[in-house]
Amino acid sequence: MRNKRALAALASVALTGLLVSGCGNSDDSSGSGSGPVSLTVWTGFTGGDAPGYDQIVSDFNAAHPDIKVTMTKMSWDTIGQKLPSAWVTGQGPDIAAPSSDPNAIAQYVKTNSVLEITNTGTGDDKVNTDQLAPALVKEFTYNGKLYAVPANYATLSLYYNKKLVSTPPTTVAELQDQAAKLTTGGNYGLVLADNNTIQMWPILQWLSGGDIVDTSNCSVVGTPASIASLQPWVDLVKNKKISPVGLSGAEADSLFSAGKAAMEINGPWAAASYKTAGVDFGLAAVPTGADGKSVTLGSTAPLAISAKTKHPQQAQEFLAYWTSKTAQLKFSKSTGFPPLRTDLADDATLKADPTVSIFANQVPNAKLYLPQVPNATKVDTDAYVPLIQTATRNGDVAGAAATAAKKINELTGCTQ
Amino acid sequence: MTSLARKVPAALGGRGPAGWLFMAPSLLILGTFVLFPIGRSLWYSLHNWTVGAAEQPWAGLDNYTRLFGDAQFQRALANTLIITVASTAVLVVVGLGLALALQSENVVSRVVRSVFFFPTVISLTTVGMVWRFLLDPDIGLVGGVTRALGLDPVNWLQSTALALPTVIFVNVWKNAGFVMIVLVAGLKAIPGEHYEAASLDGAGRLQTLRSITLPALRPTMLFVTFMVTVQSLQLFDLVYVMTSGGPLDHTETLVTKLYRDGFVNYETGYAAATSWVLFIVVVLVSALQLRIFRYNDAD
Amino acid sequence: MLTKSLKWVYVGIGLVLAIVPLIWMVAGSFRTEADLYGHTASLFPHEWTLHGYKGVWQQLPFLRLLFNSVLFAGVTTALTVLFDSMCAYALARLEFRGRTVAFWLVLVTLMVPFQVTLIPVFMELFHFGWLNTYQGLIIPRATSAFGIFLFRQFFMSIPKELDEAARIDGAGHFRIYWRVILPLAKPAIATVALLNFTNLWNDLIWPLVVSTDNTMQTLPAGLALFAGQHVTDHAVLFAGAVISLLPIAVVFFLAQRYFVAGISTSGLK
Repeated sequence: MRNKRALAALASVALTGLLVSGCGNSDDSSGSGSGPVSLTVWTGFTGGDAPGYDQIVSDFNAAHPDIKVTMTKMSWDTIGQKLPSAWVTGQGPDIAAPSSDPNAIAQYVKTNSVLEITNTGTGDDKVNTDQLAPALVKEFTYNGKLYAVPANYATLSLYYNKKLVSTPPTTVAELQDQAAKLTTGGNYGLVLADNNTIQMWPILQWLSGGDIVDTSNCSVVGTPASIASLQPWVDLVKNKKISPVGLSGAEADSLFSAGKAAMEINGPWAAASYKTAGVDFGLAAVPTGADGKSVTLGSTAPLAISAKTKHPQQAQEFLAYWTSKTAQLKFSKSTGFPPLRTDLADDATLKADPTVSIFANQVPNAKLYLPQVPNATKVDTDAYVPLIQTATRNGDVAGAAATAAKKINELTGCTQ
Repeated sequence: MTSLARKVPAALGGRGPAGWLFMAPSLLILGTFVLFPIGRSLWYSLHNWTVGAAEQPWAGLDNYTRLFGDAQFQRALANTLIITVASTAVLVVVGLGLALALQSENVVSRVVRSVFFFPTVISLTTVGMVWRFLLDPDIGLVGGVTRALGLDPVNWLQSTALALPTVIFVNVWKNAGFVMIVLVAGLKAIPGEHYEAASLDGAGRLQTLRSITLPALRPTMLFVTFMVTVQSLQLFDLVYVMTSGGPLDHTETLVTKLYRDGFVNYETGYAAATSWVLFIVVVLVSALQLRIFRYNDAD
Repeated sequence: MLTKSLKWVYVGIGLVLAIVPLIWMVAGSFRTEADLYGHTASLFPHEWTLHGYKGVWQQLPFLRLLFNSVLFAGVTTALTVLFDSMCAYALARLEFRGRTVAFWLVLVTLMVPFQVTLIPVFMELFHFGWLNTYQGLIIPRATSAFGIFLFRQFFMSIPKELDEAARIDGAGHFRIYWRVILPLAKPAIATVALLNFTNLWNDLIWPLVVSTDNTMQTLPAGLALFAGQHVTDHAVLFAGAVISLLPIAVVFFLAQRYFVAGISTSGLK
């Protein structure tokens, strides 16, 4: 009998749960009329740069009493899982950074999930496209329409652990030499992540005259120049063990922040976490390559608006604020990111900031990874990552490159 | 509830549709949220379906023919079968060993059994994370102990040769306790007289195991192997957390593959084709098991 | 003697393998990064820190997540036990046309991987208007083929004479189910409830997909935030794992006695 009562209790708990849920779900305050308009934003900015973005949001809210923006941070993986179907069905946030990979925006354009940004021009309440780096605007423009603004713009620099490195390398030859020498006593000379990471390997290839695709989107990973640019690094990883193989970005970062890695090529977001971890680190420009010039990776995350948002006007206003001079100046100062806007390039306070200036000085040398290459995300995961992972394990760069080249041309639709 | 308990019987009291009424909630839910969607996914697989695209062009069997030319798919299929066969075989042997060793009802056996059973309730994500770190040559205990012994630590999950066996090992680690508990229960259900008869006949330990224990355990064995195979064929979280299918697809399974196609590359139709292949594999393997164990539904 | 000591060597190795990873995880939640990297061969912390737990507490709306998890796993489990046992009662103890077909349909659903149906189910919930609602979160998961199977096996082991006696007393099917069969099925209830509660509690993808609204997130979803792309703070990750494991561990130790009994009387006939 006791059993019966327990079950009855269970069942009534269940029913109450359902009833409660039926009416407990009216928290969607984005309705009409009174009160401020609510905008939700999803981003994957969970790194050390997170407070910088929070600041933009809270400043915007303070300046716009009629709009209330709430930003939710989750892993990029999670956004990738939820956002496509959420946006298609008109659920989900008004605004989102769909991925840390700028090329991901193409998919959302294809499914008509993102709103064209029309609120462009001059003045504080418009997105000043003329003041944004042209490469970034181009990256987010499809068929002549702008679908996203850059949420940030980063270049990569060389982080080095001051306890292990006395003078940072200035040339590729020195970088290779130091990476090998510093690999000792359980430490790694230069940690190189190859998957789920900001791209490190392409920089090494660019520095020595290699590349991945040419301007007509055809693979060049198999050219003698590209193979020659990769071979020494593959040998260093395979034979000298300057880095563990198969590292993800997070694993490489953890090794550096634990003081187990002498050097790492990384973006400004890492600085805050390394500081918290208590590593005594220095920052230097990426060393110069064979031709005496330096190259680094430029990286940006897109910020886009749902095609089905109820508040397109306010959402665009928010993007305008995000990319505005005031917001970006403050953001650069607090996070060390180079300024997004060309009219901040010569700002004296930013030039005086040692962290910002390191990253900002490399903007002229920065290249985007596979910009507007068809199926860029798959070119990375299905061709480039396997190329590095195969070569660093078996040492056969030419063989791995031949396979990758075939795959890349398949994906980009190159018909040599 | 009591008033309900009084009214409902009137409706359910008669002969007629009582059976279907009792099954209605479950069948409605399973029908709406499992059976209909699996049919839906068959429909997707016959299209170049992309979530949200304006048009979903008909593709016929293209997705399926494409699968069989896809090296990643072949690898995923092979890995899935290897994981399933190896995990099931090892689990049955290890689990049976533990069950035989711990079948008696004393405090020690009971406590030890709880310890072995505990991993069953830990989430696969947590299990995957802990083992991933545990096996990491730079922070893990395994690497640390290897180094303390004066050897070079092994990068288990980044080695193309070792990653798959390691995943199988962790899968076994997670499920061994479940198999053991079920088999202990099965052992207890064997009437004592059977053993007495055998010992009167002078049968040895192994002989008793072969002629009495194993035959009597057959239905239990069917049950555990069925559960373990179905679970292994659908392995996802563990692999996703430990290796994401790497290195170089060496631990890619059918579900990580369909996840990658469906949720990373947004090729819903193609992912649906993979899922139908997986579904058919699961049904075939289950049917095969029912045959092997000569399952009799009539009892 | 030899077999006996061999037996304990075997069990001993198993015990070490089973326990050490768990101890290492719990200890890891109290370790600093430097300690973790510096003393890899050590099972226990050299210096203790609460940094991991503080991190979890500061960065998550912890109580809200806990509430959502308890509600989702608790209510769904209660419904599952009710629906599964009803369905199993019909399958095990009633005679009607189509019973075998129904049983096989149930078994087939056991073979469908969750990821396969994720997108179609999402679209259904969208058409029902159930996204971001508790009913959307709960109802699709409120029955389990495994539970039905287990209850069915259990119910089949109960002597038919019991029903007959009740029927002579004038009881209908529902009364027999509710008053006669269910009270006997305590161990099976415990088994199904424990397994379902565990699965639901640990489920990461389902709540993530159904609720785009982060006030409806569950604990595992919240904790997944810490496995981000940047520097991994291992102590926080371990602390998160320990926290989400604790409620399950408590349920496990309370219910495992029934659970074993449930397993041993079902699934084996």
